[in-house]
Amino acid sequence: MTFSWLRKPRRTFFLYRRLFGAQLKAILEYQSDFYIMIVSAVLTQLLGIVFLWVVYNRIPDINGWTFWEVVFMYAMVYLTEGFGSLFFEGTWRLGRIVNNGELDVMLLRPVSPILQVLSYSVGMNGLGNIVIGIIMISQALIRMDLHWSLGKIIIAVLLVVTAILIRVSINLAANTTAFWFKNAGNAFPMMIHNLGEFAKYPITIFSLGVQLLVAVLIPFAFISFFPAYYLFDKSSAPWFWIACPVAAIYCAAVAYTVFHFGLRKYESVGN
Amino acid sequence: MSFIEIRQLKKQFRQAVKSPGLAGAVKHLFSQQYVDKLAVAGIDLDIEEGETVAYVGPNGAGKSTTIKMLTGILVPTSGTVRVGGIDPFKNRMDNARTIGAVFGQRTQLWWDIPVSETFSLLKDIYEIPEDRYRRNLDQFIELLGMEDFLHLTARKLSLGQRMRADLAAALLHNPRTVYLDEPTIGLDIAVKQRIREFIKRSNKENGTTIMLTTHDLGDIEDLCNRLVIIDRGSLIYDGTLEAVKNRFARERVIHCQLQHADIPALHDTFDRMPGVAVESLDAACVSLRFDRFKATASEVISAVMLHGEVADFRIDEPGIEHVIKQVYERQLDLEDGHALAAAGTEAAGA
Repeated sequence: MTFSWLRKPRRTFFLYRRLFGAQLKAILEYQSDFYIMIVSAVLTQLLGIVFLWVVYNRIPDINGWTFWEVVFMYAMVYLTEGFGSLFFEGTWRLGRIVNNGELDVMLLRPVSPILQVLSYSVGMNGLGNIVIGIIMISQALIRMDLHWSLGKIIIAVLLVVTAILIRVSINLAANTTAFWFKNAGNAFPMMIHNLGEFAKYPITIFSLGVQLLVAVLIPFAFISFFPAYYLFDKSSAPWFWIACPVAAIYCAAVAYTVFHFGLRKYESVGN
Repeated sequence: MSFIEIRQLKKQFRQAVKSPGLAGAVKHLFSQQYVDKLAVAGIDLDIEEGETVAYVGPNGAGKSTTIKMLTGILVPTSGTVRVGGIDPFKNRMDNARTIGAVFGQRTQLWWDIPVSETFSLLKDIYEIPEDRYRRNLDQFIELLGMEDFLHLTARKLSLGQRMRADLAAALLHNPRTVYLDEPTIGLDIAVKQRIREFIKRSNKENGTTIMLTTHDLGDIEDLCNRLVIIDRGSLIYDGTLEAVKNRFARERVIHCQLQHADIPALHDTFDRMPGVAVESLDAACVSLRFDRFKATASEVISAVMLHGEVADFRIDEPGIEHVIKQVYERQLDLEDGHALAAAGTEAAGA
C-alpha cells in the first residue's frame, strides 16, 4: 500500500491526465470567465514587480542581491504558485472535500486519494502566474549574463521541478489540517501560503527566526532563494544545489505522512 | 470463514460539545469539551458470498457507519472487519477494486462531466477490459433506461436519473460486493422498480453479494432474503424476513360494509370477544382488529353477521413496515419472540 502509486508512475500519470483532462474540459465548456482570472493574476504579479523596480531605483542592491536576481526569486514564487493552481488546485479544495464528505467517494475508488485530490480541480488563474513567471525568469537569466553549461541547464530545470514539488507538497500538507480543524473556513493553509512571501527576497535580510522558518521548517526558500544562490554563482560549494531535491523529498514525505494520519482521523459525515 | 466477517466491531466518534450562542463559541475556544458517541457498539456479523442482506434500523442506528467501515472509508475503533479475507481499511485499494457502492445521499458521479464520460473514466480507473465494458454498458443503458440522459452532466440530472447513473457506475466493473446505502430514497415507484430489478438481476447472474440499507420496506421485501436489524449500534435481529412476519405480524384488520346493522349489539359483542378490538364502527362500515392466534377471520365475520348484513368485506395484513416499526419502537422484543405491549394487541386482550 505504501507509495503504491509511486511504484506505477506511468499509470499514475495516465490517471492524473484522465482525471485532470476531464475537469479541464468541463471548465472550458461551462465557464467562460476564466480569462478574467488569468488577466487579474498577471496584473497582480506585475504590480509586485513594479514595486520592486521602484525600490531598486533608490538603492543599488539588497544585501548584495541586484534587481534581476530578486526578480528571479519573485518569478520562481509566481511560477510555482501558478503550477500549484493550474494543475493541483485540488489541494486548496481539500477542506471542502473533507467537510462535506466528498472524500467518501474518493476512498471508494482504487486510486490514491492524494492523486484524486490533486486532480480534483483546475485553477485557470495559475496560467497567468505561469506565463508571467516564465517571462520574468527568462528576462532575469538573460540580463544577468550567466555562463551556461549543459550540466547547469539540466540542474536549472531540475530546480524548477523540485520547486514545484515543494510548493505543492506544502500546499497539500497545510490543507491536510482540514482533517483536524473541521470548520469550513480553515485559515491555516492560507497563513502557511503567505509565509511564501518571505521567499520573494533574499532570506539573509530577515532575522534568524524567519530564516529558520522558511529554510528549515517550511522550506519555501528552496523554491526561490537557494536556486538563485546556485544559478547566480553565489556559492563556493558546487554541489550545493543538491539541497533542493532533498528538501523536495522531505516536503513530499511530510505531506504524504500527514495526509495518511489525517485519513485515520477522518470521520466522514452523517447522512 | 465467511465472505464478510465482522467481529466485535466498534466505532466511536468524538463530538465537540458547544453551548449555544456566541458566549458558547468563545467558551469552546478555551475549554474544549467532547463527548464520545459509540455509533457502532460491538457488532458480530457473517455474510456469505451471494447473499442479499437488508441492513435496517432507525436513523442514527449505525448503519452507514458500518458500511463505511466495510468499504474502508472509516477505520474501526476496535474489532475487525474482513471482506473476502481483506482488511478494508489497511488494504483499501485492493478492497476497492472488488466493491461497488451507492450512497443515496451522495453521488459518485462528477458534477460537471457528462454521464457517458464518467463511465469512460471509471473504465480507466477500474481497468475494465474493453469488451466487458462495452457489454456491461450496453446492458446497463437498456436495463436502467439511461439512453436519454447519457450526454448530460450529473448536475443536470433529476434525482431518479442520477440514482440510475450512480448504480450503473457502481456496478460497471462487476464488483463482488455491492453496498447500497438507501439507493431508492426519494424515488418514484417506476424508478424504484427499475432499480430493484437491476439489483436483483446482478445478484442472480453474477452472484454479487449485496448489502442494502434502506428505510423503504418494499426494497427489503423485494430484494433481500436476510434481514439484519440494528439499533443504537447493536444488532437486535438477524434472520429471515419471513420469520419476522410469521412471528410478529399476527394482527389482521377486517373491514365490513354493513347494511341494517345493530350498532350497540356489535359494540357489545366485540367488547367481549377475546383478541378482537373495534377500530371504527358506524352504520355503514365496521373495522375490527384481531389477533389471528386468538380469533379466526370466519369467527369475526360470523359474529358481525349475527347483528347485520355484510355487503362486502376486506382483510388487511399488516405490512412489514408496521412490524419493523414496532421493533424500532421496542414494542416487540425479538430476543424471546414475545410481542410486548403492541397497542392493538393489548387493547384486544383487555
